[in-house]
Amino acid sequence: MKKIEAIIKPFKLDDVKEALNKIGIQGMTVSEVKGYGRQKGHKEIYRGAEYAVDFIPKIKIEIVIDTDRADQVVETIREAANTGKIGDGKIFVMPVEQALRVRTGETGGDAI
Amino acid sequence: MNNVHQQAAGELQQKTQALIARFLKGKEPDFLKQHARLLDDYFRQAFETSMVGPRMDIGKNPYAIIALGGYGREEQCIHSDVDMLFLFKKKVPKEAENLIQEIIYPLWDIGLDVGYATRSLKECLALGGKDYEVLTPMLDARFVCGWSLIYANLLEQLREGIIVKKSRKIINWLVENNELRHAHFGDSAYLLEPNLKEGQGGLRDYHTMLWIARIAFNAKQSRDLEYLGLLSHEEFQTLNRSIAFIWGVRNRMHHVCRRKCDQLHFENQVKLAQSLNYKRINGQQPVERFMGELHGQMEALKQQHLMFLHELGYEKRRKRKRKSQKKSAVDGLEVIKWGMLNFDGPEAIIKNPELLMKIFEESARLKIPLSAEAKRLVKEFSHFADNAFRASEPVVKSFERILVAPAPKFNVLNEMLNTGFLEKFIPEFHSVHNRIQYDEYHLYPVDKHLLRTVQTVKKFGTAKDSSLEPLCEKIYRKLRRKKLLLWAALLHDIGKGESEEDHSIKGAEIVKTVLKQKGLAPADIETVIFLVQEHLLLIKTATRRDIHDEETAISCARKIKDIERLKMLYLLTVADSIATGPMAWNDWKAALLRDFFLKTVNVLEKGELATAQAVEVVAQKKREALRSARNPGEKKKTEALLGVMSPRYLLYMPADEIKKHIKLYRDLATDNSEFIWEIEHAADANTRSVTICAQDRPGLISKIAGVFTLNNIDILDVQAFTWRNNIALDIFKVKPPPDPILEDEKWNRTATNLGAALSDELDLADALRKKVRVYRNTKTGLDKKPHQVTVDNASSSFFTIIEVFTYDFPGLLFNVTDALYRSDLNIWVAKIATKADQVVDVFYVRDVNGQKVDLPDQVSNIKAAIMERLPAS
Repeated sequence: MKKIEAIIKPFKLDDVKEALNKIGIQGMTVSEVKGYGRQKGHKEIYRGAEYAVDFIPKIKIEIVIDTDRADQVVETIREAANTGKIGDGKIFVMPVEQALRVRTGETGGDAI
Repeated sequence: MNNVHQQAAGELQQKTQALIARFLKGKEPDFLKQHARLLDDYFRQAFETSMVGPRMDIGKNPYAIIALGGYGREEQCIHSDVDMLFLFKKKVPKEAENLIQEIIYPLWDIGLDVGYATRSLKECLALGGKDYEVLTPMLDARFVCGWSLIYANLLEQLREGIIVKKSRKIINWLVENNELRHAHFGDSAYLLEPNLKEGQGGLRDYHTMLWIARIAFNAKQSRDLEYLGLLSHEEFQTLNRSIAFIWGVRNRMHHVCRRKCDQLHFENQVKLAQSLNYKRINGQQPVERFMGELHGQMEALKQQHLMFLHELGYEKRRKRKRKSQKKSAVDGLEVIKWGMLNFDGPEAIIKNPELLMKIFEESARLKIPLSAEAKRLVKEFSHFADNAFRASEPVVKSFERILVAPAPKFNVLNEMLNTGFLEKFIPEFHSVHNRIQYDEYHLYPVDKHLLRTVQTVKKFGTAKDSSLEPLCEKIYRKLRRKKLLLWAALLHDIGKGESEEDHSIKGAEIVKTVLKQKGLAPADIETVIFLVQEHLLLIKTATRRDIHDEETAISCARKIKDIERLKMLYLLTVADSIATGPMAWNDWKAALLRDFFLKTVNVLEKGELATAQAVEVVAQKKREALRSARNPGEKKKTEALLGVMSPRYLLYMPADEIKKHIKLYRDLATDNSEFIWEIEHAADANTRSVTICAQDRPGLISKIAGVFTLNNIDILDVQAFTWRNNIALDIFKVKPPPDPILEDEKWNRTATNLGAALSDELDLADALRKKVRVYRNTKTGLDKKPHQVTVDNASSSFFTIIEVFTYDFPGLLFNVTDALYRSDLNIWVAKIATKADQVVDVFYVRDVNGQKVDLPDQVSNIKAAIMERLPAS
């Protein structure tokens, strides 16, 4: 199993969700996060006061999936989240040791 | 040995089951009392058949079985616990333990939650005097069986020994305890998962009233609340309806949960709505109607409780002066004892119905509440609020003063809502009264949410509140038409009363009717309609569109058109979100919304791109371009192309030129060449206009400029634009080559050069170096102003704007743009204008990543790089 963690632009969430639904991904965890990478923070000026955006709002999606589907999921997210501009985000893939469904106690692939 | 009692307990269990079954079918309206009676029967039987009882020396130490707490009040819900007192005249005998075993254990065996105490009369009094937790259940003591005289003694001595002497202290303790409980369990009239017993508006509020009445007025039963004049007949009826409803819910909840349970959890709400037979009406789910009614009933109980305490002067720790310093300035109103506002009498209202509104205005102005009597009168005389009243100018003005009155804590609008008067004044409020949306996002019924939004907006204007946006405070203070924003805050969700439709649009229609009736100026009505209709625009755009794309801010700005409106919309959006609940508002959303708001403000403040005129001009140009399409297929393509043209391009380029450029663009696509151009002779024959269409690439402008310079073509004026599909359109106004006969030939050579430069076959810098050396010598020796380069990061949220002020010299444009290119900047817009020999070059640039360049280092490097390429003056 792999865990896929994708940081994307907020307005791309619906597109990504829809694209993942299309390839049969049923569940994901979504959180509102802030951060910066190559896309720096910036500041806006209003009436002489500066309003700094040091950390840019982004969306983080987490999905755990069977290893053989990981590439497909990554590619799907990439396609759907891509605008070609800076700040489109990053995708990380990492191994998962075990998964367990709390209600039934199922483990491994059955639990995801 | 306990066979008899076990059998009795078994019978009790069966009878209880039968009773519950009847109740669930709706055939047992008096369930609580009947349930208590069944228990009474058991205890009587147990007492009579007791084996232990007779062994105790009854003659010398008689005892009584007494019901306490809820059981004492005969309010026995399905899984309520059973509180018992075995009261002995003298010291509790050893045998009592066996008695308990005999009578209580069988009840435990059938799963009842029975708590008991065995005490002597003396112990009861000693404990009750010390510990009010022990005293309060005894206030509800009810004789079940045994020696009634001891029970009578208990009541008498409790009263004389403790209650009368310490009544004020006990009541204070009760009120304080109740407030602590409210703080812990929250306001049930609002909560998503209300606590039916302990929360504000819960059954404990009723118990507290009853206890106080017992302590202070020796009330025996709940109906004494009315007999003693503590509640009016109407209020007592309302109270009974509320608690009957809450009990009904609590009982069913016990049944559903199979245990004692007071908090109405989310997952049980649908089941209960079903069990209470709610139907879907007007697009509202059964559960939404159920929760709406529950909240309404709990609100009524909460209000009754607050008013009860207030009237009796038992509010916690408030040291009110009997005589208030404040005086009402309105004829027919007076400030009465405890500093509350009242009418002079019912006649005053009949003489002047406007007082019905005035009293709320005075309440807001003086920051004192209406007395209970005044609220009664408002309800009683609310029929005066007819159509003429609602449209009357003094009444409307009075309401508007209430609307804008600062209200940090004391919320007059809430009072208006609770007395039903707000609904009388704005009947459209009826459809959202207690309207629940069944989800975890909308915490409050719509009407409460609307008032909370108004309150939140007003809070922007009062002392700093760290939980709010400091930017909002700044904007609100400077806002000119606060009244309009507050009208919009009050009415923004009024469309939610209607089913299914888009509530913003529906709301705008309702607002139009309401405000027209109220006689507001048409322009003001327009503004409020706009705010209501678009109250989700900012938050939707900020979360669902790319806010780092200038187009997003511009299209939003064009929709809003007016900076005051944008500010109002922003404040409304923030207040609306805060008032919705924690799921709707957090730092993350705040940051996103603020960023987008500031970008849009910036667009509107700069004016050029989003004025009403600009919007019209652009729309007209688009229409014209579409008209010239010859067939639907072409029209569609043109439409797509118009979509990628940059806002500045569309604004500044004449419609005819746009049409030409579309053609150039199509030729470029079919030609498959590096660039395509068109050369036009101006009317005076002294200038040529060269329009170049090419795939944008770093350094495009500098290469074109360089090639022109190389061919001795003087550049007078440039406009450069980049479409969003990465197509560059550069329009150069130039002096034609000196020799008119060979002009075409010259242009052909230039074109060849440009092709070579674009495909990097020609090293322009090298070719020009020789050339410029020649030019430098021709420089006129006049005194020149020093060159000036400014880098502006404040004017646009999306571009760094670089302005170069200098004098004209051959190769100027190449040098400046080449410096930008070598600094890794992309030029998105360029405007070069020459007046006499003063030149102003303006460039909108971003770095290769598409970001502004705003670090101090970057800025000074850019300046230096440009300066270096300008001739020393």
